[in-house]
Amino acid sequence: MMDDSAHSPHPSDETVRLDFTLNGEPRTIEVAPNAVLLDVLREQLGLGGTKKGCDHGQCGACTVHVDGQAMNSCLRLAVMCEGQQVTTVEGLARDGELHPVQQNFLECDAYQCGYCTPGQMMSATALLADERIGTDDASVKEAMSGNICRCGAYKNIVEAIQKSRAQLGHDAARKEGAA
Amino acid sequence: MNDMTQPDFDKPRVVGQRTPRIDGEFKLTGRAGYTGELHVDGMLYGYPVPATIANGVLESLDLDAARAMPGVVDIFHHGHFEALHRSPNSMAHGDMVNEVRLPFEDERIYYHGQYVALVVAETFEQARAAAQRVVARYREERGAVVGLLQTDAEGTLQESAGSSRGDPEAAFGGAEVKVDSTYHIAAESHLQMEMHATLAEWRDAGKRLVVHESTQGVFFQRNAMARVFGLAQENLEVISHYIGSGFGNKLFMWPHSVATAVAARMTGRPVKVVLPRQQDMTGGGNRPASRQRIRLGADRSGKLTSVIHDSTTETSLVHQYVDTCGSATPSFYACDNVSTSQRVLEVNHGTPCPMRAPGEVSGIFALETAMDELAVELGMDPVELRLKNNAEQDPASGLPWSSKHLDECLTSAARRFGWEQRNPAIGSMRDGDEIIGYGMASCTWSAGRQPCEARVELRADGSLFAACGTQDIGTGTYTIVAQAVAELTGAELSRIEVKLGETSLPAGPLSGGSMATATVLPAVAAAARDALDALKEVAVGSGGAFEGSDADSLSAQAGGLTDGKRRVSFEEILGTSKLSSVNGQGSAAPGSERSEYAFRSFGAHFVEVRIDPEISRVRVARVVSSIDIGRAINPPTARNQVEGGIVMGVGMGLLEKLDYDPRDARLINANVADYIVPTHADAPEIDVELLDYPDFKHNEFGGRGVGEIGLTGVAPAISNALYHATGKRHRDLPITIEALLASS
Amino acid sequence: MRTFAYSRADSVDHAAHRTMPDAAFVAGGTTLLDLIKLDVLKPENVVDINALPLKRVERLDDGRLRIGALVTNTDLAHHPEVKSHYPVLSEALLAGASTQLRNMATTAGNVMQRTRCPYYRDPAARCNRREPGSGCDAMDGINRMHAVLGGSDACIAVHPSDMCVGIAAIGATLTLQGPDGEREVDFADFHRLPGDTPHIEHDLANGELITAITLDAPLENARSHYLKLRDRASYEFALASCAAQVVLDGDTIREARLALGGVATKPWRCSDAEAALVGQSADKASFERAADIALKDAQAREHNGYKIPLARQAIVRALRNAARGETPASETQESQA
Repeated sequence: MMDDSAHSPHPSDETVRLDFTLNGEPRTIEVAPNAVLLDVLREQLGLGGTKKGCDHGQCGACTVHVDGQAMNSCLRLAVMCEGQQVTTVEGLARDGELHPVQQNFLECDAYQCGYCTPGQMMSATALLADERIGTDDASVKEAMSGNICRCGAYKNIVEAIQKSRAQLGHDAARKEGAA
Repeated sequence: MNDMTQPDFDKPRVVGQRTPRIDGEFKLTGRAGYTGELHVDGMLYGYPVPATIANGVLESLDLDAARAMPGVVDIFHHGHFEALHRSPNSMAHGDMVNEVRLPFEDERIYYHGQYVALVVAETFEQARAAAQRVVARYREERGAVVGLLQTDAEGTLQESAGSSRGDPEAAFGGAEVKVDSTYHIAAESHLQMEMHATLAEWRDAGKRLVVHESTQGVFFQRNAMARVFGLAQENLEVISHYIGSGFGNKLFMWPHSVATAVAARMTGRPVKVVLPRQQDMTGGGNRPASRQRIRLGADRSGKLTSVIHDSTTETSLVHQYVDTCGSATPSFYACDNVSTSQRVLEVNHGTPCPMRAPGEVSGIFALETAMDELAVELGMDPVELRLKNNAEQDPASGLPWSSKHLDECLTSAARRFGWEQRNPAIGSMRDGDEIIGYGMASCTWSAGRQPCEARVELRADGSLFAACGTQDIGTGTYTIVAQAVAELTGAELSRIEVKLGETSLPAGPLSGGSMATATVLPAVAAAARDALDALKEVAVGSGGAFEGSDADSLSAQAGGLTDGKRRVSFEEILGTSKLSSVNGQGSAAPGSERSEYAFRSFGAHFVEVRIDPEISRVRVARVVSSIDIGRAINPPTARNQVEGGIVMGVGMGLLEKLDYDPRDARLINANVADYIVPTHADAPEIDVELLDYPDFKHNEFGGRGVGEIGLTGVAPAISNALYHATGKRHRDLPITIEALLASS
Repeated sequence: MRTFAYSRADSVDHAAHRTMPDAAFVAGGTTLLDLIKLDVLKPENVVDINALPLKRVERLDDGRLRIGALVTNTDLAHHPEVKSHYPVLSEALLAGASTQLRNMATTAGNVMQRTRCPYYRDPAARCNRREPGSGCDAMDGINRMHAVLGGSDACIAVHPSDMCVGIAAIGATLTLQGPDGEREVDFADFHRLPGDTPHIEHDLANGELITAITLDAPLENARSHYLKLRDRASYEFALASCAAQVVLDGDTIREARLALGGVATKPWRCSDAEAALVGQSADKASFERAADIALKDAQAREHNGYKIPLARQAIVRALRNAARGETPASETQESQA
């Protein structure tokens, strides 16, 4: 076993205070400067819904919303989220009611193993709220291509997104996704 | 068995009906606990240090800097590890492993990414930071075997993996029409979304080991760990509730699991290890590269007279893995003269392992491309050629098929695809800048079945509980188990709780080989029947809801028992008799039918490719498939398996390739950006039809399993379509832009 | 991932004067964190510049467009000024990376993007760019992704940006703020050829910060196209890409702008090819001649030779599409999003 007391303090002993809003709740936590948002969510805050599939921005499983925009939480230092609104898959359902995108993923069987699914849904909700992205299948597929599904459930994912669009209506979708 | 509870499986109520996944809400809300996100009190984090060479010796490890890092608890390596035993590695005894070599067993380096140390620290960040400070010094040696496709070496013949009937060499020699071609397929990565992960915890003063593992086989891992640690199986528990898929590389245990368990024992605290993606790809399994030669002989009418299929695949230096490419070939076509042979070559790679449709998917690429070549030689429509050689019984065993409808798959998919609009002339179909190619191939996968046990409880609170020690890797096993229980008891699906993925449950099978459905459901049905029988005895007994009736006169209906006049719910029957529950045990195993029939699924894929030759761009635009898997227990999840297989087939055909450095065998694209798999934008328009011919000779539910077959046949259908578009025959996978440019 | 100290800059001066040793600015983080995790970059100090007021896009009086360093790739791609006056840049941006990464990545960060050479990204490999003088494992290794233009004996790593190819075809000026004040650099001179010093990637001194990129005034009546060729349909770096702008007078090319991506060690402007196009008729023969000129100095290693004919195809098709002023439907979804 090691004896840390013999060594001088190291930068990673220090933590930085982080004030941010997580799934609508104000939170204040202490994080290491080199702690990545994804790891803080999964290991420190117990929010395992956000997945690690590559840790380098290459798969999209870690997608969360930061101030309403879809981002790869694996490439974001936690401390960079100071004052920001972070939404994870755990924040999609409201009062025990599945978000329409979640409900349509269920109905359309838009997943298999479920591991990329939270990231797919976070991208989907952001996409539905973003009027800059085209609404046809080809535009949706291009905009969703940052989310790899190795099980290959792409067809059903696009179906679930388009079904959600039809249900939400454009304005409603923007409100939901921005939350 | 009680006939009164036998459901009418010709007209099932729940089985065969669209059923949203019962575990869906957990996956969709983030509450499904995959191994990597589990926490237990006092848990430490492990981070392996991978070898940066592929061939040589680890000369020294300088751990001082790493030890000085904050939070570091211990660092394990060859000089600081427990003495352990190897697993016997037996399929029959359920202790097969993916790599028999134990972690840190010696200081020789056999492949890039092999673990040389495991750093354990208080937090993930600390473990990773310290792992990067470990300084390993190697003596690298020349002569690394870079890969099968980079050498002319023949490999070692595997006598038991070959087969022969008739006189194929003579028949080929005398054939009127011949094809003799060689095919190469690059090594592939499973690239399952969830990396390998282990959480190990010793309990009861180190006497008992509890392991959470992302695995396709909790029992295999338990048995192997018991051998490795010299523990009684009863003192080991392996748990895997949610698995971020596996595609075969999580069937059997890898060294990281052993290292994690040792770290937990030696630190006296639980330890979690999630492999970084690079290590998952270097040391966590791959589909080995293959080199195959196919010789086909036929008469002028297109009747096959000879099939000779010779294959070589890679294995590692620390574990023998044989990826038998020819295993489907003897059963594929009616032909009197067929032989297959298999060789393996040891290379300096991480150990290969089964990957979705192992062996056969590679073999079928070669065989079905060769069949297209034969059709061209004969001037015959490729669908016609396949129909002409359709095997009415299994030519390998001589047994009748339990159920086979390949001919209907071929004709139905051809019709839906619009095959009759295909102009067979090369490059004759155009649309703007693009040339359109139509191609097709048949597909197949064996229909196996294993012994299995299960348990079903009927509870006084009105709920039902079903348990089996198999896993749901994303195929939908949780849901079909609930469907089976609902079918037998008439209970609502929402009342049925299913537990899988624990070795404390009745012994269940691997989630692999497309066998789980046919294996698990009959055992669950037997357990449900046993539970219903127990409940009937209660009901007709003293003070029971049907006191004095004949148990055989009762039957299950809508979550209750009925005597034909009145129905009493399960909970009321149990309540009346002051019981909390009744418990049913069930087991099922394949029987004499296995020697009376041959079991195999077949299907057909039709593919439209579009190639823009002036910019060397090829895309798969459309895939139409018809697959015969017996009865689909849950049609949407079954279809999803085939659709996913098709997407993976697009990757195999056009994109996927592990790149080993030609000088030193280091894997240089061990990440998700440089190892390219299909994205949303690559997914073609897909139309999958599942024929509905229940195969009751296979099992009482009539389902044959569907995990692998969708992948087989896709890549050859793509290469055949490209031939139609360009006239260039692609025999090497993946078909890259370089290959397209070379053909223009 | 190594440890480092973290701080936030609250003004440009503050950031630029913070000349700490081994410091790195972080904006989007998409390159920096990726490479810190790989142990390729090892900053002792990370300075977060996201609070700086560098997020505006403004049209200047002289017609140029000034883009703040922190404008995200997504916002820039969809900005009305960019969409209407610089569509080739919008297309290039949207052809890059993924939705999520474009939401994070910034304009200046994209300019500072590092190569994707696998040997650069692996500290166990020899790399002159990462470790001067150590050698280059790419030269005789798996160099399928590597450059055929602008390479040297020391390095053949590709500059991976799509955005920069669009900017190269437009022309731009970078504004840099350093401890000694502000200066401007021509975009074409900012990225360095590897030569003998591949580790010096750009003209940015220690402590200097890119604060803005100012695009040249748009070419009047130009038609343009950005074409990206790659193995898969999306979310992959270019094997060859081409940004083309042409101004036509009837069938005659009056002006042309041409830049290449995926094939060169820096965003590659093809001035000779542009000159050769002027006065020619907008047909395949002219485009092929221009492509041959653009690629006349191309040099291949073992696995990247295909990039020369592929880049030729990219040039010819991009010019054709630009001249036609339309993108065929089959190409729209992949290269234009």
